Amino acid sequence: MLRYKLPPWLLLLLPAIVVLLAVVMLPLLLSLYSSFTSYRLTRPDSITNWIGLYNYEKALTDAKFWAAFGRTVLLLTVALNLEMLLGLGLALLVSKVTHGQRALRTMMMFPMMFSPVLVGFQFKFIFNDNVGLVNNALQSLGITQTAIPWLVDGNLAMFSIIFAEVWTSTSVFAILILAGLYAIPKDPLEAAKVDGCTSWQTFRHITLPFVMPFIYIAMAIRSLDVARAYDIVQIMTNGGPARRTELLWTLIGRTGYVDAKMGYANAMGYTSIFLAIFFTVYFFRKLTTARTELGMGG
Amino acid sequence: MDSNLSHRLKARALKLAHLATLFVAMSIICLPGLWIVLNSFRPTVEIMAKPPVWIPNELNLDHYRSMFGGIGEGGVPVLTYFMNSLVISVTSTVIALLVGMAGGYAFARYKFKGKAALFVGLMVTRAVPGVALSLPLFIVYARIGIIDTHFGMILTYVAMNVPFTVWLIDGFFRQVPKELAEAAEIDGCTRWQAFWRVEFPVAKAGIASAGIFAFLTSWNEYALASQLTRSVTSKTMPVGLLDFTSEFTLNWGGMCALAVLMIIPALVLTFLVQKHLIAGLTFGGVKG
Amino acid sequence: MNKFASGASALVLAAVCASFAQAGEFDGITLEAKLIGGQQYEALYARIPEWEKATGAKVNIISKKNHFELDKEFKSDIAAGTTSWCVGSNHSSFASQYPTLYTDLTGLIPAETVAQFVGANIKAATLDGKLVMLPRAQFDVSALYYQKDLYEDADNKAKFKEKFGYDLAVPETWQQVSDQAVFFSDPPNRYGTQFAGKDEAIVGRYYEMVVAEGGKLFNDDFSPAFNSPEGVKALNWFVNLYKASAVPPGTTNYLWDDLGNGFASGTIALNLDWPGWAGFFNDKAASKVAGNVGVAPAPKGSAGARTGWSGFHGFSVTEDCANKEAAASLVDFLTNEDSQKLESAAGPLPSRTAVWDYVTEQAKSDPYRSEVLAAFKETAKTAFAVPATPYWIEATNLIYPELQAAILGDKTPEEALEAASEAVNDMMRENGVY
Repeated sequence: MLRYKLPPWLLLLLPAIVVLLAVVMLPLLLSLYSSFTSYRLTRPDSITNWIGLYNYEKALTDAKFWAAFGRTVLLLTVALNLEMLLGLGLALLVSKVTHGQRALRTMMMFPMMFSPVLVGFQFKFIFNDNVGLVNNALQSLGITQTAIPWLVDGNLAMFSIIFAEVWTSTSVFAILILAGLYAIPKDPLEAAKVDGCTSWQTFRHITLPFVMPFIYIAMAIRSLDVARAYDIVQIMTNGGPARRTELLWTLIGRTGYVDAKMGYANAMGYTSIFLAIFFTVYFFRKLTTARTELGMGG
Repeated sequence: MDSNLSHRLKARALKLAHLATLFVAMSIICLPGLWIVLNSFRPTVEIMAKPPVWIPNELNLDHYRSMFGGIGEGGVPVLTYFMNSLVISVTSTVIALLVGMAGGYAFARYKFKGKAALFVGLMVTRAVPGVALSLPLFIVYARIGIIDTHFGMILTYVAMNVPFTVWLIDGFFRQVPKELAEAAEIDGCTRWQAFWRVEFPVAKAGIASAGIFAFLTSWNEYALASQLTRSVTSKTMPVGLLDFTSEFTLNWGGMCALAVLMIIPALVLTFLVQKHLIAGLTFGGVKG
Repeated sequence: MNKFASGASALVLAAVCASFAQAGEFDGITLEAKLIGGQQYEALYARIPEWEKATGAKVNIISKKNHFELDKEFKSDIAAGTTSWCVGSNHSSFASQYPTLYTDLTGLIPAETVAQFVGANIKAATLDGKLVMLPRAQFDVSALYYQKDLYEDADNKAKFKEKFGYDLAVPETWQQVSDQAVFFSDPPNRYGTQFAGKDEAIVGRYYEMVVAEGGKLFNDDFSPAFNSPEGVKALNWFVNLYKASAVPPGTTNYLWDDLGNGFASGTIALNLDWPGWAGFFNDKAASKVAGNVGVAPAPKGSAGARTGWSGFHGFSVTEDCANKEAAASLVDFLTNEDSQKLESAAGPLPSRTAVWDYVTEQAKSDPYRSEVLAAFKETAKTAFAVPATPYWIEATNLIYPELQAAILGDKTPEEALEAASEAVNDMMRENGVY
């Protein structure tokens, strides 16, 4: 029987490839095409109106777009690094506990149970300047007598968003780094103790290099998922006020769905996709390097 | 003696500082969530009170009662949403795990050209922001008529979770020695049998941890669900939260009550499998 | 093939004839509907089985979402061409965005039925000569809610008179609201007033203020007209209150729910808000100001006109609906007198003249409800809808960040309006409006 046989690896990968082609690649091709048209949701025939690179030109020469782009990069950088540091700290704290680890670990993962849309509402209420939890607490404790406009002030608004984002996602880092801490072999740690290393030295030269790959894994996972923060930001501030918290995602969402200018939104969307890909590939590189350094192979 | 004492004192102080820091950290993690739980039991007038009411005067089940009540009296089809969420999340997690096992096995056990590129390519599909994907996906789904169906949602979540399950499971299979499976094959097992009897049991913890991540992602996803679901036939709980908003009003107490129902199953599940989660992540991701 | 088709239709005919005697005119028809969800709106849908029974048709609600999600869904539907469902919830502020989606109801609804609705509402529901929806009893215009005891306090009265030179009374002009807001403010415990600070909401508020100052938002060709002395004056009302800390500092991030909850928390003295909150504000389980709420008609601007940005919900029939008569009959049913009586009994305002009289009559024994109705009725007399351009929402998205910038002090009002006007002008041009 003359039948072309697929190599087994391809056969095994086929389901994954097919699903991803159908659900991600096909729609993306559609949106790539529409980004070269004046596509307007409410005028379906406009999808055939080819306008070349006009949308891209318009986006790339728009100061508002670049401001949102810069802010998104800033948010990603600050949030991911903060989450990493806090996650590391949290994991260290939890790993040193002798009793009740199981309960602590579950508590640590508590924010992961919260849907981003819920987190958005939650922090919108917590940071409300008039009846919000934070201001109420600060005023009751006599720390301040003013109503702090958490979601309005230029710096505080970004802070509040980053706080909400860090709150939801630090768990992911903590749990992965905790797994890394458990995996550290005991011998080098004991050897360090015998050699009289301080705990900082032990941490710096033994613990940290060992958990580094876990940190990069967490970074990679988070950079894949970070656009989910859209739900949070959209509900908390929706990019406002006066564009102070405008991110690429809020800008795209509003342009595409509210203004119905899908062609233009997709052109901006592509730049945000490239941004996400850049972050992901960057952390994968780091991950591979860290693995090689630890002799774990690629 | 003296130095011993000071050493002990120092150790005790360190321990105290450790516990205090841990307490503060856990408070910051848990308080916003517990605040939601508390609000679900309080009348709206107390939640929004100014000056604030710190010690609740009244706790009741009103928000829950009206949520399960009739349409127009605050009722929301909670049970339907819950079932939708459960069916969609569980099915998509199981399928994503199966697809991920096949894919992970391929990456772990076979050598082929363009492996690294294909791997990163698969990963990157996860990085596409939902807001950029939702409309084109909607148009494709609308054309083939799977809008507002369980099938459409399951398909979407499988695609969302496959990159991650492939990755974690790949790492886990890699640390099962190849020789183990080969030995089984020599003993007369088929490759299939060798997989289920030898490699799968070792990789179980890794699969469980991939599973919990996939489940939580599907359980909580909103951006795509809000676009691809429309009515009680497929609306999931995160989308159901928006039932508590109307043009001018927002029923925060009711929303909290639904949120609590959303959190409990996730919490229980996590508590049950978190031991595997740690074990799975320890070996799965890194030793690739 | 031909034979099969005729055979089938004969069968259908036979079925229709056989059951005609017992059941109604739309036997066997199933209508798909996309209706707005939410507590305030769903009580009405309990009446649908009554219509089903009378006509023999079935209604299948295939989507039930809140207003903004529904808007997104309609746009996606138009994009994907999935518009063969029949009845949809609509809103006067959003209707102009879907010029191709809905059919003209003029031929489907008897003229005498249309005449029973409030004239201004029908006018706002008519776009380019097409009657695109029938209004339900969800008419919205804003009136002024206030805390009554603030005006009864002798100390307040004396101090106010001393400071501003006139008697403290429920405000009739926006200038008085301004004065009193500053006077009543005691941050962070109480603020004089508040306003919606983002999205279409703040543009709507600004729009009505421009009108009350004697200006216009758009010219007749929809070119921007708000970059004018009246426009600046209107914007300054918001800017000055914010500067004077007479509004909560977070107000530029507020939407309707924040405003309602704020007033109910007892921290806001004066609140321009929608009729939907009237019951909530006076409900002891939800509101701290219950029993202390007064309602007055919307104040007037310096041009002597009241603010009165208004809108209403309604039902529309799609162009692609296969059974337009049945769909129109459902729409008619959901907006008829009984339906409107049912809906407005819970608080919302009707859009039929007879039902206005009916609810006023019903409220006679309830002084609070009577006060509410009188205030809104007075405001409704001079109410006006949003400009009827498909680009209204898009324009608001260009205008509101600039208004916020002026309020927060990033720009002067003149600079902000200049920038907004230019952006709207460019957008209108790009869309080929002129």
